[in-house]
Amino acid sequence: MQRLLTTISTILLLALVLPAQQTDTEQVFRPVASVFMADVGHSSILDSYLTPITYGGINVGLSYSATQATGFAPERWVRQLSFAADYSGVDNRVGNNDMQALMAEAQWGMMRRWTGIWKPQLQLMAGGMTRLRGGGIYDAANSNNVVSVKIHWSLGLMGMAVYNTHIGRLPITLAYQVTLPVAGVFFSPDYDESYYEIYLGNHSGLVHFGWWGNRFDMANLVTADLHFGNTFLRVGYRNRIERSYVNHLNTHITTHSVVVGLGGDFLSVPRKGISSQARIISSMY
Amino acid sequence: MMIRKFHIVALWLSLMAVALMSCHDEPEWNNDAYGNFDALWTIMDEHYAFFDYKQVDWDEVRTRYRARLSPGITSQELFELCGDMLKELRDGHTNLIASHDVSRYWIWEQYPVNYDERVIDEHYLNFNYRRSSGIKYAILSDNVGYMYYESFVNKIGEGNLDLIFNYLSTADGLIIDVRSNGGGYLTNVETLVGCFIEKRSLVGSIQHKTGPGHNDMSEPYDYYFEPTKNHIHYLKPVVILANRGSFSATNNFVSIMKQLPQVTIVGDTTGGGSGLPFTSELPNGWNVRFSSCPIRDAQGNITEFGVAPDVKIDQTDEDTARGHDTLLDTAINVLLKKRQ
Repeated sequence: MQRLLTTISTILLLALVLPAQQTDTEQVFRPVASVFMADVGHSSILDSYLTPITYGGINVGLSYSATQATGFAPERWVRQLSFAADYSGVDNRVGNNDMQALMAEAQWGMMRRWTGIWKPQLQLMAGGMTRLRGGGIYDAANSNNVVSVKIHWSLGLMGMAVYNTHIGRLPITLAYQVTLPVAGVFFSPDYDESYYEIYLGNHSGLVHFGWWGNRFDMANLVTADLHFGNTFLRVGYRNRIERSYVNHLNTHITTHSVVVGLGGDFLSVPRKGISSQARIISSMY
Repeated sequence: MMIRKFHIVALWLSLMAVALMSCHDEPEWNNDAYGNFDALWTIMDEHYAFFDYKQVDWDEVRTRYRARLSPGITSQELFELCGDMLKELRDGHTNLIASHDVSRYWIWEQYPVNYDERVIDEHYLNFNYRRSSGIKYAILSDNVGYMYYESFVNKIGEGNLDLIFNYLSTADGLIIDVRSNGGGYLTNVETLVGCFIEKRSLVGSIQHKTGPGHNDMSEPYDYYFEPTKNHIHYLKPVVILANRGSFSATNNFVSIMKQLPQVTIVGDTTGGGSGLPFTSELPNGWNVRFSSCPIRDAQGNITEFGVAPDVKIDQTDEDTARGHDTLLDTAINVLLKKRQ
């Protein structure tokens, strides 16, 4: 575990240091694959701080991600920055109560890229990520346990498989991305600790070291980008699984969503233009 | 090569096994009479905070009440059965809440009311009073300030309290009437108490359950209130009027004010309710509220069954017949004696 954390930390440190040592004077252009996505789907939520009953209902979300080859070794490394927010409105099984969940996150990751392993159109990427995610679940029917606050910061693994192909004359990029936090820290009150006690100043035991033994979190994203010139229409499917068990408090959150997005592989072109010798290294396409 | 593959598989399986540790299943109950009864009993068993303090044998309670279940029991009958089971806890914060009814154990229903708003409005205030932040206030004929705070749900503003205390500043003392105030937000207790203390003061301690066992309790956490800043401090003699309907946050307020040297508690023992309530849910959608986080007074006493007054007095029939409030008269006399 320690070795894994060291590796991830090294990757993140390299990403911070190395880009400052590189410039684009070598006429290497790195377009940014930017995409705005909207998610609509189903969410299932169990949070035993609020209720022992599993709730289910609609999940909607908005997200933005920017993926770009790194300034150093752009053929071999890719970085990605993303922001997302999602809302779930869920009901209990008998339909006489509802809960609201609102979460937001920021994620940054960097991946090593391998091309031409099996087919020239296929790229495989693997690396590390860090994510800050937070929000809360609100149950208006409750008394002093009316809300369950969720905050976690994590380090983990990130992988991606990208396959560029065509349907007729339409270029299509198929991609699968997985993020898998491995360790981090997260907030949780004690078993029946009230937020009033926290407000009074008892802050002991609120922050926990998170690892797969008490917290598991995985997000999967499968997409097809349909290219129209420099822009693309993204359709896909997103799945997120969050599990935690700490202080005898149990959280299960699962979402399945259809994803629709608009994006492009954007390049900032200098006034003098791009020379014929310039290399354009895309992150995905 | 074989050994390397074996190591990879073993590592992967180990990681998956560790990941499964974070996947903890919650018990699932059927949405029938037995399932809902068992869910209610288990929720209380794992979360209720006062089993030992009240010396309730919850296993015995389960055996006794579950024997009364039958497959043909109606929803109404199940509600009454479950409500009766909860009454074994003698807890005003413990309710079963369905769309058609709320089960309750309200101790003040078993004691004299000791409060009639109409009598005060008509015979003491002459329907001439001011109202701010949910507080009714006036100066009584004996030059005694009077304020009635009917619910700690009503938000108190420090600016409003300044206006009230300014108006009452010529009076020789103050009666704070919290009879039949069923509680509300503890933050309002903090705001109000802050006007009567001059320095940071220990006002109590709070605990919470740390696990499903009856004795899984945290160490009491001492908490302090600060005096109000840049607002009026009221330091003249104060009488708190309380009755059995002074419950929950009001019980907490009385327990704190009782520690202050300028304060006298007059009336009846408060209604108690010292456990901060949490809420949970049964498979059929009924909610159950219960005491989860005990709050103790500054001496470490649990005030679940109320705070005793310094001067115990009940409303008399003679005073009722002549339109007098025995408790309020006593409070006025306490202040008049202090004036002398």
